[in-house]
Amino acid sequence: MAIVAQSSRTGRISRATLAWIVALLFFFPIFWMVLTSFKTDADAVKPQYLLFFTPTLDNYLNMTDNYDYWRFARNSVITSVFATAFALAVGIPCAYAMAFNPSRHTKDVLMWMLSTKMLPAAAVLYPMTYITKSVGLFDTHFMVIVVLMLINLPIVIWMLFTYFKEIPREIIEAAQMDGVSTWGEIREILIPLAWGGIVSTALLCFIFCWNEAYWTVRLTTTEAATLSKLIEGNRAPEGLFFGRLSAVSAAAVGPIIVLGWFCQKQLVQGLTFGAVK
Amino acid sequence: MDETGRPRRPLRNLSAKLAMLPMILTALVVFVGGTLWTVVHSFTDSKLLPRLDWAGLEQYDRLWSSDRWLVSIENLVIYGVLSLVFSFLIGFVLAALLDQKIRFEDTFRTIFLYPFALSFIVTGLVWQWLLNPDFGIQSVLRDWGWDVTVDPLYDPGIVIYGVLVAGLWQGTGFVMCLMLAGLRGIDEDIWKAARVDGIPKWKTYLFVVLPMMRPVMVTALVIVTAGIVKLYDLIVAQTGGGPGIASEVPAKYVYDFMFRAQNLGQGFAASTMMLVTVAIILIPWAYLEFGGKRR
Repeated sequence: MAIVAQSSRTGRISRATLAWIVALLFFFPIFWMVLTSFKTDADAVKPQYLLFFTPTLDNYLNMTDNYDYWRFARNSVITSVFATAFALAVGIPCAYAMAFNPSRHTKDVLMWMLSTKMLPAAAVLYPMTYITKSVGLFDTHFMVIVVLMLINLPIVIWMLFTYFKEIPREIIEAAQMDGVSTWGEIREILIPLAWGGIVSTALLCFIFCWNEAYWTVRLTTTEAATLSKLIEGNRAPEGLFFGRLSAVSAAAVGPIIVLGWFCQKQLVQGLTFGAVK
Repeated sequence: MDETGRPRRPLRNLSAKLAMLPMILTALVVFVGGTLWTVVHSFTDSKLLPRLDWAGLEQYDRLWSSDRWLVSIENLVIYGVLSLVFSFLIGFVLAALLDQKIRFEDTFRTIFLYPFALSFIVTGLVWQWLLNPDFGIQSVLRDWGWDVTVDPLYDPGIVIYGVLVAGLWQGTGFVMCLMLAGLRGIDEDIWKAARVDGIPKWKTYLFVVLPMMRPVMVTALVIVTAGIVKLYDLIVAQTGGGPGIASEVPAKYVYDFMFRAQNLGQGFAASTMMLVTVAIILIPWAYLEFGGKRR
């Protein structure tokens, strides 16, 4: 930062140019996908129509007929929203307990929970599939929600814990002196004070749920299948339905892109696990 | 943790403990229980359904003499090492670039981070198209008159590097954001002192600033590594493991043997191997990293 003082004008311009070029490179694949989604399947595979083509909305209009998009989208919304809500409902009291009533083992418990995130999911995949099938919850929203919640809970608790740690203990203790109940403390003091952090955590959890594929592809067939499953099941290797697949992919990531643009601060904060304040 | 002798109602502490119970219970039942179950069954000859017919180490024998498994391991090592090296390298350079008080920094940050918000499935799909010789980058470049060959996905020798590019595109922005946060945490005076002493800028970065960014580095390392172990969606969407078995990875091996080849024992053995490998790397490292600071 201090280097700015001595940097020349050309240096500044070249750095800005470099940043723009890199940003374009990063954005290009997304841009390309969105661009392709407005081409017909035939145009999409012809390089001469890269930038100049007759745009069409057909891919989007036919999304329901081609892929039954809205059903999968609805499933994605339902499972991601509820999984996030449940993860917060379980995570907030848990992180609260760890941040304000730590015992000797709190750090160990936190480490241990995080370590489950590092374990290969492959080792738990079959038992979970087996359990869901044997209790008849296979391919149900409920099961997908529970699984999504479980796999994201460690990260959610970890993030909430780091946010809660920043709240001065004295505030909580003052409330305890006044005889506020634990639930009252959480609702009246903790949640308002850590609101920004909670929103970032929720956004992160939502994005992870939305993108999850390893589990949702396995635990669903049609009823509770999410957009990940839809895309996974329809990827055509030879570019047959290039245009329409682009459209459905764009529609699958669209909500995240739009949501992210409006909550840039929370997106960055959430996706970097609270490291960027 | 400071366990100072503050008077505390035992009941309150109890309710706090209760709040942690659901998480601990599920973690125990699902993660530990499920994992143990898998490990036990990896010593059986389960095929279509899990059975407890003891088969000793037979599954492991078969696993380690399978070409596909060896290729999977090799691919994961190549992908893992290179994606760690490059995402940290590029991430750091980009972070240093954005740290120069560039205009629209927030916009850049969001754009760099966008790929990380996309699912691996979509990332894989988009990069499969981009790297397709018939209608991807190559065809566009040819259309412009440059005769180049960019089709890593169709060459068994380099297909994993094609996957690597997509993986880097997805994850580098995240590393960059963390690094940028780390750079922001560096005291301005450090830079001034280094300048007064006449230390070149690159040396300051390498020997002074980087060691100070240890905490964010650790966070980035944990997240990136967790992503590498799980590498599956990207492969499925981008190459499907092909051409042939050239881009297979362990997680896919497990998946395919459990649910496609109806050979559960093999899948269990493979997932146990993954587990053991992760544990061998993770446990000593976790002790070194977190064990020291506990109190």
